[in-house]
This record gives sequence, structure tokens and C-alpha cells, in this order.
Amino acid sequence: MKTTFVKKGLVALVSSALVAAFTVAAPSAARAADLTCTTASTKVETCTGVDGNGAKFEIRMPSNFNGTLYVYSHGIRYNVNLPAIPVVAPAGALVNKEPEVAPSALVATALLKQGYALAGSGATTQGWNLEEGVDGALQVMQIAETKYPKVSKVVAWGSSLGGLTAQALAEQYSGAVDAAAPMCLADSAQAEITMAGDFLWGMKNFFNPAIKGSGYSAGQAGYVEMLTDLGTVLNTLLALQTAIATNPVAPAWPATSTVPDSLKVIPVRSAVLLLGLVSGISTQSNTYDASSGPAGALETSFGLAISPALAVLENGAQAAVLAVIANYDMEVRAGGVVYDNSKTNFAARLGDDAQTFNAALSGTTAITGMVGYLQYLAPKVTADEAAVAKLNSMYQLQGKISVPTITLAATADHITPAGAVTYLNNQYNASVSAGTASAGMLLNIWNKPAETYTQFAASGAGITPTTPTNGTGHCNYTTSQILTVAKLAATAAKTGKLPSTSAVKAAIKNDANLFIDPNFTPALLKFRQ
Amino acid sequence: MIRNTRKKRVALVSALVAAGAMVLSTLPAQAAENGVTATTIKLGISSPKTGSAGLAYGKVPGAMKAYFDYINANGGVNGRKITLVSKDDKYLPTLAATQTTNLVLNDKVFALVGALGTSTHAKAYTAAALAKNGVPDLFVNTGFSGFANTAKYPTTFTVLPSYAMEAKIMAKFIKDNATLAPQASFLIAQDDEFGIDGVGGFKAAGHTFAAAPNLYPAGGLTSALAEGALTKLSAVPGKPVLVLFGTTDSTAIILKAAEKLSLTSKFTFIAGSVGGDANTLLALGVKSTTIDGVIAASFFPDAKDETDEYVKQFMQINMNYNKGVTFDNIVLQGMNSAMLTVQALRAAGKNLTRAGLISAIETKGSTFASAGLVPLNYSATSHIGYNGYYFGQLNAKGELKPFGGSLALYTTDSTAGAVVASTYKRPAMPKNGIPNN
Repeated sequence: MKTTFVKKGLVALVSSALVAAFTVAAPSAARAADLTCTTASTKVETCTGVDGNGAKFEIRMPSNFNGTLYVYSHGIRYNVNLPAIPVVAPAGALVNKEPEVAPSALVATALLKQGYALAGSGATTQGWNLEEGVDGALQVMQIAETKYPKVSKVVAWGSSLGGLTAQALAEQYSGAVDAAAPMCLADSAQAEITMAGDFLWGMKNFFNPAIKGSGYSAGQAGYVEMLTDLGTVLNTLLALQTAIATNPVAPAWPATSTVPDSLKVIPVRSAVLLLGLVSGISTQSNTYDASSGPAGALETSFGLAISPALAVLENGAQAAVLAVIANYDMEVRAGGVVYDNSKTNFAARLGDDAQTFNAALSGTTAITGMVGYLQYLAPKVTADEAAVAKLNSMYQLQGKISVPTITLAATADHITPAGAVTYLNNQYNASVSAGTASAGMLLNIWNKPAETYTQFAASGAGITPTTPTNGTGHCNYTTSQILTVAKLAATAAKTGKLPSTSAVKAAIKNDANLFIDPNFTPALLKFRQ
Repeated sequence: MIRNTRKKRVALVSALVAAGAMVLSTLPAQAAENGVTATTIKLGISSPKTGSAGLAYGKVPGAMKAYFDYINANGGVNGRKITLVSKDDKYLPTLAATQTTNLVLNDKVFALVGALGTSTHAKAYTAAALAKNGVPDLFVNTGFSGFANTAKYPTTFTVLPSYAMEAKIMAKFIKDNATLAPQASFLIAQDDEFGIDGVGGFKAAGHTFAAAPNLYPAGGLTSALAEGALTKLSAVPGKPVLVLFGTTDSTAIILKAAEKLSLTSKFTFIAGSVGGDANTLLALGVKSTTIDGVIAASFFPDAKDETDEYVKQFMQINMNYNKGVTFDNIVLQGMNSAMLTVQALRAAGKNLTRAGLISAIETKGSTFASAGLVPLNYSATSHIGYNGYYFGQLNAKGELKPFGGSLALYTTDSTAGAVVASTYKRPAMPKNGIPNN
């Protein structure tokens, strides 16, 4: 429990989160005449251009084209330039508007080699820009079909916000694609910002009231407030990490906390865990499996009471940083405060987790005290109705699925929890019942971590793995897993129906982290509960 | 890209799917059940085999397997041999959820048996979608009254009486005892659903403690906290009654604190059924002289009582099929749950289905033979097992002898029902311990 987590954890966890959260892509389109095409020695023709919205796009066409085109939508990216900020952007970051044609270069290479064509779009405006994302994907798809008449099947796919983009595209333009494969599907903007915002708001009220969290000013002042918040959040996270590393059993609250002394007798790790549970952030993270403990006296109690809290801290660090940047973006985009917890019932939010994690939360009395503080003493945030309305004017998933659709979601994804797929399933089932969707068109593939995976140093500290733990993290799939989903989707596009259960089981049989179970139902995001 | 054939293809696919469903529905239900073949029944258990809870309950899977092996050696159940897949969850909720999911999805067990714990199993139940998958969840070792909610846990059958029942009966025991009733009584309890259920039970019974309950987080009771509590209570005149409503390791911490403070004779200790296992207390370092005289609740005969026909038979099976393992209360509980399982499987008939198994327990479970000295309470509306207790007193050997020399059984419910003396006579042990229902 010493300093490994302190030294490496924050950097590794937060930065990997940002990379994961902000590097999955966005689209736009143009006329075929605008294309600039080159053929590399790999016998792949690459065409680039600018679509009707002014966004860049890219198409890659292999010489052995098999007729199927994948149109990929990336996830959310920074919508502002960031100066050098330790951990978050050590070298600074500029807004990236480049198109992406696949989740990774390895995936792209593998698919091209097998004769699949790839396409993707960047967007003129980054951040939560679902509308332009859908439009960009549609445009690049049409450009590719015009340029290459041999395109006979189209698979729309994407990651995170890009998953939502692909799904929104398939629902809104039902005849345009032949299959869809949303991966690490994001829920709506409001659902996602509620999760991340809840954790950030909790950090502010439990640990450091200097965090602004929402209601950023207009213009340059707001930008500075957002950057200042990032620093404040990081310092608060570091203080929490240090406290838990120093005394994992009974860590003290940060000096910046202004909660009553009666709460400060509770180990602060319990407060961290509580925030994770009421927000809906996974209690399993890259490093911590919520079960393992270091050999010795703490072996069992670490897994029971300490590991879940450390997992939430690891995950929550990324969620909080994301909340600052995404919330700022959404406020600018919508013209007002979009996060709202004025009607949140925190006891209901905690639900059965009060029982499941009772020991880790330091018992029912402590739970009652912490929940009571959040419910009755901490100042709430009320959103601007017009801003929320503007946010919600973006397409909301209907579940109107008419082509084979295959989702891939990790059970411990802390940025886009698997519950987003539950929501899609619910919407789909309702649409089928209403006769607005075709039955038997939605398949869920789940990605779970191993039973236990935390490794400990001799000091008892958890060791952050060099290879991110599969089943945890955001969109943290292996190349093999992504290709499995891609191929199943391509097959479905050709046949017009989902692959059989036996075919899917055969496809995933060598991957211990993937499973299918039509009855597996991850909890909805808290906003939906 | 909008294809004219799309609607036609969708219609065709829908028709094929519907046809497939019809074909499936005409197959024997047995063919669709995971974990059942013509010759085998695969069961699963997720429970602590290691860790602190493993010390007390680690023998449960082995005891169950031993009994199943015995039944298999005697023909099995309707010609099928029982296999038991055992997973170690260390009494950790997240691991229990994972292991239970693995049992259902990877091992494809027909039913789960003998899970342990409230927080562990509640999380596992949801994570593994046991309700949606219709997986029978048999004889869970918890007294949490929340599992009585058959809408939320439709496939679960608990085996222990609820903690609320236990508290109500304990309150009556204190009230009716001329020595204990006049003394001030105090409650030291786990600050979770276990303790809360207990506090609720005492309240429902109208019992008033001399002070507010002293609550501690599960697993959070330290020697220092225990010593502080006992020191404070030592100033109470007379011989106060100290009710310990927690797990055995917590009971051990309190008793060892009393030893350290030379207060073992100052109090009358009453331990709940979960926290009063003598073998575990001794293993945790409590002196036998301290245990001598501790009052504890139980609904089983003592595992050392060889005059009891169930104990005698289970001891024999343990000797032959669980070699090297000392027979104790935990082994007794494990074998008893295994015997209940066999009777449930038999009651479900040859055409074994998950739904049929659940129905069989609901309709016939209350008649199953078992070592329990109080009635089984299973019905279509109740999935709670035993519904009563007696009180005994531990001696220095760790044996639990009926308090006052004669067995006094009480039954009640988890809510406002009265605590009543029971004249229940359990069914005789089936010949050779092999159910014939």
C-alpha cells in the first residue's frame, strides 16, 4: 500500500483514461470530385477529402476488395486546446480533427488484408457532437459508394460516442447500412454527464469545495476556470491517494474537506467508494479487482473493503477529469449548465449496494451519515432547462433496429458502462413490441475481466499492469476481440441476420473474457434508474 | 443503399425464428436444461473456502460433496449421479458474483446449492441473472430476511431461519428466564443487514435494551473497540446480559477482550447462531473456560451428540467419504443441505427441469427429512427454510447442551407474529441416510 499507486497510479490511470476517452473518432462528407487518392505499395488506395460540413474524411480501398465497407465513427475528443497539464496533457494537446477509419492501426491493417474497405470521418467541431458525427459517417459512406460501385454491404461501427454515432446512424437511416456494431456504446449526453458529474460533484462536496464542477463562465474566463478545475481535481485525487496509501484501513480525509467532523471519523476510502456507487462507476478497475488482497493480515479485508474503494478512485480519477472537460464542452455547446442533481435521491442511487458493500462503506450508520450529508447538506446543482433541452435535442436512441446489430461492451468500463447496452436492449424490446423494429436483430457480446487479477508488490501495494486489464477500462478491447465483432458483423451484413448462437460461441470460444448470455443485464446508468 | 429486398428478408428471418422457436418448444424440456444428462446432474456452489470466513465455513463444499458421493455410490438420484462444482469466493461480494456467473455460464450447472452470505449472494444473484435464467438457488446459508422477497429472488430458498426470527426468539428466551430477565441487557451487533434485522426483531418482540445497540461495521470490530465496550459495560451492576449478534470472528474478539479484562464472569454472553460455533471460537483462540457457559441459539443437534440419529449417520458418511475431515457443526450443516438437495431432486421427478425443481420444493419441501429440530417452512409463498430455535449452553468441550437440561423449541416469523413453543417432531432419518421420498 505504499507509494506505487501514488507515483504511477495517477499518471497511468488518468492519462490512459484520457487517451481512451478522447481518441476514439468523429465524421463529415463531400463529393467524389473532391477526392484525393493515392495507392501505396500495400495495394491499398487511400482517398481523402473534405465533406459537405467541411470535415475531413478518409477511405481505404484494398485491391482485393470483397464488397464490404466498414464505416467507423470515433469517440469524443477534446474540443479545446490544452496547455501542458501534468497527468492530463503533459505535453499539451491540440484539437484533433483527423478522421479515423478503424479503432486501431492493427485492426485496420487486418481488415484491409482480408479485403474489407474502411472509411471514417473527422468532425469540424469536436466534443459531444453526435449530429455531425452521424452526418459525417453518412456522407463518407455515400462518397465511398459513389467512388466504388462494388460496395455491396456496409457495416456502421464505432467506439464510445462513435458507437452511439453508428447506432444513431443505423436507426435513423435504416436502409443505408446492412449491419451495425456499436462498441463501448455511450449512453446519451445527459446520462453520461450525470455519471461523471455526480462523481465530480461528490468530490467537490466531500473533499474539496474549491472544485467548481459546473457553471463555467462564458468565454476565456470559463476556459481558465475549466483548466483551474483540472488542477484542483488532480490535487484532490492525489491527496486521496496519499491518504489511502499511508493508512489503507483508516485513511484520513483531505485537509481541504469541510464536511462535519462526525463524517471525518469514517475512513475516507468509504466516502470514495460511496461516490463511485451513487455515480455508477465500476468497482473494478485496471489495477484493482475488488477481491484480491496482498498476502498477510489484510488479505481478506483488502479485497472486501479496500480494493473496491481503490478501484473507484482509479476509475473516478478518469471520470472526474472527463467530467470537467466534457461538462465544460457541453455547457459551451448548450449555452448553460447541463448537469443537474437537484432531484437526486442518493439513498435510492445507492440501492442494494448499501448491502453489498456494507463493510467497505463502514457500516449502515456510516452510510446513513454520508448519504444524509449529500442529500440534505451539500448544495445541489440545478441545470438550465433550455441548455438541457438543447442537449437532448440530439438524437436519442430508439432501439428501432432493422439490421443485424452486434454490441461489444465491457462489464467494468467506467466511462461508458455496460448499462448503456441494457438501455439499448430495453429500447429495442419496446420497439419490437411496438412493431417499429425487427425481432432477432440485436446481439450483445460482453467482455469481462478475469475472476481475480490484482498483483501486489512485496510492500503490499497494487501493481498497475503494463497491459491494461481486459474487461476493465474504456474501450479496452484486444485487436482479436474487435476483429471478432467486425467479422461477425460483416457476416451478418451479408446474410441479413444475426449469426447463430453456436456460430457466435465458436467465434469467442478461445477468449475467456468474452461471453454471451441473453439474460445478462448490467445495471442501467444511474440517470436511467 | 436502401434495398427493396430488406423487408422480405426480415419477414423471412422472422418466420424462420418463429419456426425455430416452435421446434424448440416441442423438444423435451430436459433437453434444454443445462447441467442435466441422462446420467448426471451438475450442481454448483460458490462459498468461502479460504480467507477468514473459510476458516469457519470452508468445510461446507466438501461435506456436501461427500454426501453426494455417498448417494452416487448408492445409485444416485433417479439413475443420475450428482457432481458438484465448487468455487472459492472468499466471502467477497465481487468474487462471489464472478464465481456464480462462471458456474452458470461456463460450467453450466443445473442449480446452485449452499451459497453463503448476504452481501455476497445478493450481488451474485443479480450478476449471474439467476432469476432471468431460472436457476434454482438452493439452501442458501443466510438469515437475511430480504431473501424472503420472492419477487426479487424467485428461485432462492434459504435454509437458515431469519435473523429477525432469531432475535424475537432470543428476546422471549431472556424474558422467560428468571435469572436473565432482571438483568440489564445490551446488544453488540454488526452494523449491516444482519444486525439491523436483529435490532428489528428485538424491537418487534418488545425487548428493550438498557442502551442503544453498540454497532460495528462487518469485519471492523477490533480488540480495542471490544475492550472499550466491555470496560464501559463493566460498570453496570449485577451480571448484565450481553447479546452478541455478529459472526464468529466478532464473537471471538469480544470474548478474548473479556479474557484480557478478566470480565468473562461479569457478563452472561448470548451468541447468535451465526456467531456461536464453539469449534471456530476455539480455533480463533478463545479459551475453553471462557466458552464454558456461553449461551447460544441453534436449530440443529450438536455435532458431538452421537445419540442423534442424523449426527450418527452423517458422521459415518463423513468418515467414509470425507476422509481426514473432522466432523463438526459445519460438516453437519453441509451434509444436511446436501440431503435436502437430494430430496428436492427426487421430488422433482425423472424429467428434471429447473422449474420443476423449484415447484417441488415449494410443494413438498416442508416434508423433507432433515436434521433440523424445528420445522422447514417451504411453500409456494415462503422460501425461508427453518423457522425456529432452541437455546443451549456451551460447555468447556465446546458441546452445546439444551439450556436448563431440556430442549425448548420456539418458532415464529420474521415480522409481528408471536413466538410460540413448538412441539415439532422431525421426520426420522431415512434408512442409511438415503432419502426415499
